Amino acid sequence: MSTFSSMHSPSYSHSFICSSSINEKKNQRFVFSSFPRFSVPANAKVFLQCQANSHQNAVLMQDGAVATKVSPVEKETPIEKLKSELLSVTSSNEWDEKAGFDINENESTVSITVVGASGDLAKKKIFPALFALYYEGCLPKHFTVYGYARSKMTDAELRNMVSKTLTCRIDKRENCGEKMEEFLKRCFYHSGQYDSEENFAQLDKKLKEHEGGKVSNRLFYLSIPPNIFIDAVKCASSSASSGNGWTRVIVEKPFGRDSDSSAALTKALKQYLTEDQIFRIDHYLGKELVENLSVLRFSNLIFEPLWSRQYIRNVQLIFSEDFGTEGRGGYFDHYGIIRDIMQNHLLQILALFAMETPVSLDAEDIRNEKVKVLRSMRPLQLEDVVIGQYKSHSKGGVTYPAYTDDKTVPKDSLTPTFAAAALFIDNARWDGVPFLMKAGKALHNKRAEIRVQFRHVPGNLYNRNFGTDLDQATNELVIRVQPDEAIYLKINNKVPGLGMRLDCSNLNLHYAARYSKEIPDAYERLLLDAIEGERRLFIRSDELDAAWSLFTPVLAELEEQKIMPEYYPYGSRGPVGAHYLAARYNVRWGDLGLDQSA
Amino acid sequence: MAAQITPPPSSSSSSLAFSSEFNVWKPMRCCFFKWVSQVCPRIRPTNHFRIKSSNGHPLNAVSMQGGMDGSPLAKGINPEEQEEFFIDILDKEEALSTLSITVVGASGDLAKKKIFPALFALYYEDCLPKNFIVFGYARTKLTDEELRNIISTTLTCRIDKRENCKDKMEQFLKRCFYHSGEYNSEENFAELDSKLKKKEAGKLSNRLFYLSIPPNIFVDVVRCASMMASSANGWTRVIVEKPFGRDSESSAELTRCLKKYLTEDQIFRIDHYLGKELVENLSVLRFSNLIFEPLWSRNYIRNVQFIFSEDFGTEGRGGYFDNYGIIRDIMQNHLLQILALFAMETPVSLDAEDIRNEKVKVLRSMKPLELEDVIIGQYKGHNKGGRAYPGYTDDSTVPKNSITPTFAAAALFINNARWDGVPFLMKAGKALHRKRAEIRVQFRHVPGNLYKRNFGTDLDKATNELVLRVQPDEAIYLKINNKVPGLGMRLDRSDLNLLYRARYPTEIPDAYERLLLDAIAGERRLFIRSDELDAAWSLFTPLLKELEAKKISPELYPYGSRGPVGAHYLAAKYNVRWGDVGGEDD
Repeated sequence: MSTFSSMHSPSYSHSFICSSSINEKKNQRFVFSSFPRFSVPANAKVFLQCQANSHQNAVLMQDGAVATKVSPVEKETPIEKLKSELLSVTSSNEWDEKAGFDINENESTVSITVVGASGDLAKKKIFPALFALYYEGCLPKHFTVYGYARSKMTDAELRNMVSKTLTCRIDKRENCGEKMEEFLKRCFYHSGQYDSEENFAQLDKKLKEHEGGKVSNRLFYLSIPPNIFIDAVKCASSSASSGNGWTRVIVEKPFGRDSDSSAALTKALKQYLTEDQIFRIDHYLGKELVENLSVLRFSNLIFEPLWSRQYIRNVQLIFSEDFGTEGRGGYFDHYGIIRDIMQNHLLQILALFAMETPVSLDAEDIRNEKVKVLRSMRPLQLEDVVIGQYKSHSKGGVTYPAYTDDKTVPKDSLTPTFAAAALFIDNARWDGVPFLMKAGKALHNKRAEIRVQFRHVPGNLYNRNFGTDLDQATNELVIRVQPDEAIYLKINNKVPGLGMRLDCSNLNLHYAARYSKEIPDAYERLLLDAIEGERRLFIRSDELDAAWSLFTPVLAELEEQKIMPEYYPYGSRGPVGAHYLAARYNVRWGDLGLDQSA
Repeated sequence: MAAQITPPPSSSSSSLAFSSEFNVWKPMRCCFFKWVSQVCPRIRPTNHFRIKSSNGHPLNAVSMQGGMDGSPLAKGINPEEQEEFFIDILDKEEALSTLSITVVGASGDLAKKKIFPALFALYYEDCLPKNFIVFGYARTKLTDEELRNIISTTLTCRIDKRENCKDKMEQFLKRCFYHSGEYNSEENFAELDSKLKKKEAGKLSNRLFYLSIPPNIFVDVVRCASMMASSANGWTRVIVEKPFGRDSESSAELTRCLKKYLTEDQIFRIDHYLGKELVENLSVLRFSNLIFEPLWSRNYIRNVQFIFSEDFGTEGRGGYFDNYGIIRDIMQNHLLQILALFAMETPVSLDAEDIRNEKVKVLRSMKPLELEDVIIGQYKGHNKGGRAYPGYTDDSTVPKNSITPTFAAAALFINNARWDGVPFLMKAGKALHRKRAEIRVQFRHVPGNLYKRNFGTDLDKATNELVLRVQPDEAIYLKINNKVPGLGMRLDRSDLNLLYRARYPTEIPDAYERLLLDAIAGERRLFIRSDELDAAWSLFTPLLKELEAKKISPELYPYGSRGPVGAHYLAAKYNVRWGDVGGEDD
């Protein structure tokens, strides 16, 4: 323990941690799960342990009530550890994960194949994130990046395309050019159909060449439309799986349109992959402040007594964008804001916020708790939802288009671009506390935040100082996920001076002021986690099921009854209905007060 | 709860002072004061009833608070009506009443540095009533002109309102007068009285005496002033500065003597720390923020620290200090008062008597301080950067063999349900490495902390801490554990903070301004009641006697250092780590 912490705590540097040894990196990140074939320096107290078995058990327990078995390996002596390793080798499905102990790091490779390499996400997010990881020394020594898509391209053309979007971290600009060169040399391209086993077999051959007989670990990033997910998975797993290492597949949303389609997708994926090979990405979970949510909750005593219905009046999860679909509404129109933002991003944050304390920080323990929360929730009722759609608006001589002005959107589309919803968790901790969600496009600002409003002070001695609106006198904890990451706590304070005037001040922590380093993009974290086999931030099948079952009934109802969205002008604060919804539960949206700039 | 709906019990001036808070949204402070000043003379008759036990039945603690309960007077009147009622009548009366403030000991240091400037600031802010005069009283022969000269050199204008400061100063000085006289001469006070009467010109007269004189002549002055210069038709109040005795007996004696000439509600014992902005804010923080409510007990708080340090020594003025020492000078009053405010139970209301009742309860729940829970120190000479800093005994006003402590650390305990077992640590010292006054609340460890291994071996560094910095640079901050942004999972302690300077650009008023204004308004919340004083002394008297009887030598520490090491061992005994010497401080 202590050697480990002294190793990293005083001076944190990416280069040290990432490049010197992947295992240290892993310790740092508390990765306890499968990560094969990397050497373990003898001096590092090893946390690398085999939990592959327990993972698989846990994964099957969809009710989430059964805790994952976690062996407290760090207490074991080396000899005991060795024994348990031997045991686990024989019993593990992923025997190779443990066999990696005596194999030098030099002997293993990671190949990352971006399927759909010519797409937008790949260009804007995936390649830059991979480069950033490389730049920081976080990728293993031997890695190759493959682009796969239908377009015909040479390696050089791919490199050319990739190089345009790569950027260097602000805080470490030196030799960025060089690094970029080196990175691009490791990027290759293979053209093929998404449903052709043959093409994937060719890819496999190429990969093998690069791997040069070393242990091969393969990560496929599926950045393709959902209708070809299954085909690609089938071909990749049957024709391009690793022979001796792991094969993992990162899947992007949408994960279906409702419970049934999602279940069908999962079932199809499971035909070719095991649960622990599937990495369902929700990039909101990779955001710095969402990561920090658990740290705040579980490592600060002061929040512990507050985190329940006894002190919290309501919780608000707010997402807004200040632009519309802007000519790319084709995909969106099929899904709508509820599926696009609420059912995944906001609900995931809610689950993290509201879950009980997990047994440990292990992925399975955390995901078990998240599933429990989701399953304690009441399916959303139609009356607890307000939907809206933006209409055109002229301001300052500029005309902003309506949603239906988008050429890629049907003229009579009823797809909501805004939604507000009230959810409830029927468990002992949260009974009766409204969890309000709000998400919208083309609103007046771009923001994602979590707001926790606390109850009134019982028997407040200072009541009369607050005037008529006692709601303004309650404490509020705000976690701003983007932009300008910040945490602040609104407290009542005496205005300095003679007399006794109170006002609301912020105890705040502004990330930009406190931490000068640039905050990594969510994709960097998630890619790294996937490479390391850390599943904490990925969505398990049963989580996904539980999430869909909350939203599916209301989504079906909205579509069947063809419920009209409330129109709101482009760039406004959204439909008024959201206020009435909040008012029904005695809530006031925290982001629409006068002091919201705070 | 009831307190919010029914009128404040015993419509005392204090409740009316607070009624200004109905007015909170009015921008001008002057309005606030106007009401109060009008109201005060009016409600004079009810003052007799004001002192009572908070909950209707007499508290043992509060001997003089007999069962007289004045609250029925106000019952049934809704607060707003009550206010209007006063305003109607009192508008007419403003012109008919006057306020005379007599600073006894006007040529002294405190008067020059604090009292006159504070009075001027109040005047500048329009917080003084329309008719007021300031009288200086001392033995020195001075003319009015000379006094004005002295005063004018120390007056300053508030930074945020500099316009017509000169004019205002002129006007203020015109209202300042001087009367020379002996402190024990009834005759001289009678002369003062006739001068005051002349200025008052037959109006309702209210008189405030500020005793800025050595303790040995307190009683003489009080006797003469109360017999010869009391107001006949308004109120007479006396502000007394520390020291209030040297121990339980001398303090009780002083109180007894004062009470011969004054009633309890005429005595305003000032503790200027209670007038500090953040000390005032302490109650606001506690009682108007839900988030602190569950935390404020032994369940969550591991220890509380009250830290006071000065970065200079006695510097040739050790005569007074040597007779008292740091424990009497800082701990027994300032720090203990803050402790009481911090630890008290929720009062029934914000009324002065309710708050002071709670403070007394806390003080009486405390264990008298034990010798083994105290560390004393004294600074010695020290050379740094070619400069020699003097030792305490190098001060020519201090006996060479003095063992008076200039530093002390102590651990106190409150034996009640809320605080049982929580150490309250105090530390006060002169000639330390910096000037600071702060309250630190250290919270317990997180039970079953999931992130334990991220903190390394020292889990103490991973606890939350709330810091209220009283001076300098007023600030509130809460240390929380936070994830360092980046790909790894490294935690650090960040501050959720509120730096007053950044949030509130206006200058913060001096403690004396607030306290003078409160005394004029008859608001007693920030003044120390006799029974409070008794309770405070009874905690420290046995220890002080023991220290002196055993002639315990202080641990010597270099001028400008962090104080004696003994303080750390004392803290360690109770598993505490001083929050101000952590290295990562500020």
